[in-house]
Amino acid sequence: MRVLLIEDEQRLAENMVAALRESGLAVDHAADGEAGSHFAEQGVYDAIVLDLMLPRKSGLRVLQDLRRDKFHTPVLILTAQEGKESVVNLLNAGADDYLGKPFDLGELLARIKALIRRAKGVSTPVLAISDLELDTVQQTVRRRGQFLDLSPTEYRILEYLMHRPRAVVSQQELLEHLYDFDWEHHSNVIEAHISNLRRKLNLAGAEPLIETLRHRGYRLRKDLPAS
Amino acid sequence: MTGSVSITRRLVVTVLVLELISAVALIVAITVHERHVQLKAFDASLVATAESLMGAVQDTEDEGDNVMLDMRGVQVAQDAAFRVEDERGRLLGSAGEPPRFEMPSSEAPTFREVDVGSRRYRFLVLQALRIVDPGKPNGGIRHRITLVYGIPDGHVWHEVFEAVRFFAMATAILLGITAAVMAWLVRKGLSPVYELAREAELINPSDWHFKAPISAKKTAELRPLAIALEVALARLQRSFEQQKRFTNDAAHELKTDVAIVKSSLQLLSMRQRTVEEYIRGLVVSLDDFTRLESTVQKMLTLARLEQPTPDDREKLLESCSLRDVIEDAVHQSKPLAELKAIAVSFDFNAEARVPINSHDALLLCSNILLNALQHSPNGATVRIAMEGTQETARLKVEDQGEGISEEDRAYIFEPFYRGDPSRSRKSGGTGLGLSICKAICEKAGGSIEMVNNPAGGALVTVNLPAEPLEPVSISSASVKVQ
Repeated sequence: MRVLLIEDEQRLAENMVAALRESGLAVDHAADGEAGSHFAEQGVYDAIVLDLMLPRKSGLRVLQDLRRDKFHTPVLILTAQEGKESVVNLLNAGADDYLGKPFDLGELLARIKALIRRAKGVSTPVLAISDLELDTVQQTVRRRGQFLDLSPTEYRILEYLMHRPRAVVSQQELLEHLYDFDWEHHSNVIEAHISNLRRKLNLAGAEPLIETLRHRGYRLRKDLPAS
Repeated sequence: MTGSVSITRRLVVTVLVLELISAVALIVAITVHERHVQLKAFDASLVATAESLMGAVQDTEDEGDNVMLDMRGVQVAQDAAFRVEDERGRLLGSAGEPPRFEMPSSEAPTFREVDVGSRRYRFLVLQALRIVDPGKPNGGIRHRITLVYGIPDGHVWHEVFEAVRFFAMATAILLGITAAVMAWLVRKGLSPVYELAREAELINPSDWHFKAPISAKKTAELRPLAIALEVALARLQRSFEQQKRFTNDAAHELKTDVAIVKSSLQLLSMRQRTVEEYIRGLVVSLDDFTRLESTVQKMLTLARLEQPTPDDREKLLESCSLRDVIEDAVHQSKPLAELKAIAVSFDFNAEARVPINSHDALLLCSNILLNALQHSPNGATVRIAMEGTQETARLKVEDQGEGISEEDRAYIFEPFYRGDPSRSRKSGGTGLGLSICKAICEKAGGSIEMVNNPAGGALVTVNLPAEPLEPVSISSASVKVQ
């Protein structure tokens, strides 16, 4: 999952980026409202964390422009302003959640993950497809009750696919949602990760979970014949 | 309410008392005048009746040359008393019981007031010569007739009393009307005061808007008060809003700093880390915390400076040498200047003592200097110049930075204002440095301004009142810090 952080306070942004990356998210950071708007309009983000007091373009304007241009990415607002009124205004302007500064880093991560989940139509942190279980909080994967040892990238690919069961996910989409600008990325990297993932998921006697559709992408099979 | 004073009551009572005094004076004057007029009329009728009585004294028809009183054709008042005698004391005619008077020597009529019985009479004493048979050769017989005629004067006093009573009644009615009209008029005249009060009552901390009612502004006596109220409230509102903005900004600033410290520590504790990571994390967290501390410190400094000094003389007791302070500030900022390879030159044309304590003066000078250094490109020069007259000291600091934009100029000394917000935090300022400078200058009765140097860069000019010193001949010194 890829998150956009729009925050002008350099040190705070550094900490947040580090925390988000450590929890398995790809993060891009914009230091002012205008850059933030440009980033967000690429439509590759699964969630946006938006500070309100921004140079060049206020957070509220960024949010309004996004919603006007029909971007439905969930937005979490960070605010140091007091008062219920501004919260109401923000939610009415299209924000999905808000957090007052100074916030708890753990709470911020939990809220971002909850926003991503809800936007993808999932309501619990544990995703399950047939005999496969993925815990987004612990970042663990089990098949038939057995823990699988996945690399961070493999985990992220699987998490993304599990959020979109039965949908065909292209390599491009995976690239966009799993890597931020700081990463060197090529589509054959994805291929390599997918093949590793497939191997790790394949327990003896179980059906293959990930299908490859030539020139189109990958698909997670949901309805496996009962084994 | 005890001890309160009512303008309405006071005005009405004053007018009524004045009116009453003039009415009493008028009544006294009327009494005197009326009595005079009535007495004159009374006396005239007394004289007329007496004359006609005298005229009724006639020659008797007998042989002697006597006279008699023929009352026919003479009308005397019913309660009149009179006596007519001739020179030998022979009574010619009388009515009532007129008293005997000592006869005046002259023939001029005289008036006497005497009580007869229970009534007071006014008498006319008249003497006249009657000549019997004036055609005879001996010239006739002369008779000296004395006439005393009087009637009660109660009538006069009755008339006077009636007149006074009429005036007294009229005055009383007039006083009543005046009181009512005055009360109404004054109340009506004071209605703008009540309207002003009603409007002023609506002011509260959440709504400072105050517009004096037109009625109050149209009243010459109230206009100064109404305008003063408006101006004072507008001023209060401004300062209140400024305070509110400052509080909001300060809260925002503190929350941000706290958020940084908190997130640094939380990031560190997110999972097990190596000792090196922990050490690095602690160093970073301490840096973040130091910044929070410095923000708090600066806010407290600003609050202290903006607090009014209880005694103006107290602050004058403290003073310091501006030159020494500048040298200290240059020394303090040396590391930053060296880091950016900026040359700092100074030029002292005067020496002055300024009425600021040395701590605040150093704060002022180093803030200005640090600001100049921060906005200067690497390798540039910052020039400090000091000049002064007997009363003022002037400090000028020039940098070769990008200067200030026109829209920033008005706000550059506002707390937490930053010309370019995106740059601010990186350059390490809290946005309070220049506000602190301004507070220090204003507390000392001086001023500070920042303009763009025609040659490029910003020029800060500080004007301070100076305590005159013996002129010291100091050659212009130039120190280069590399």
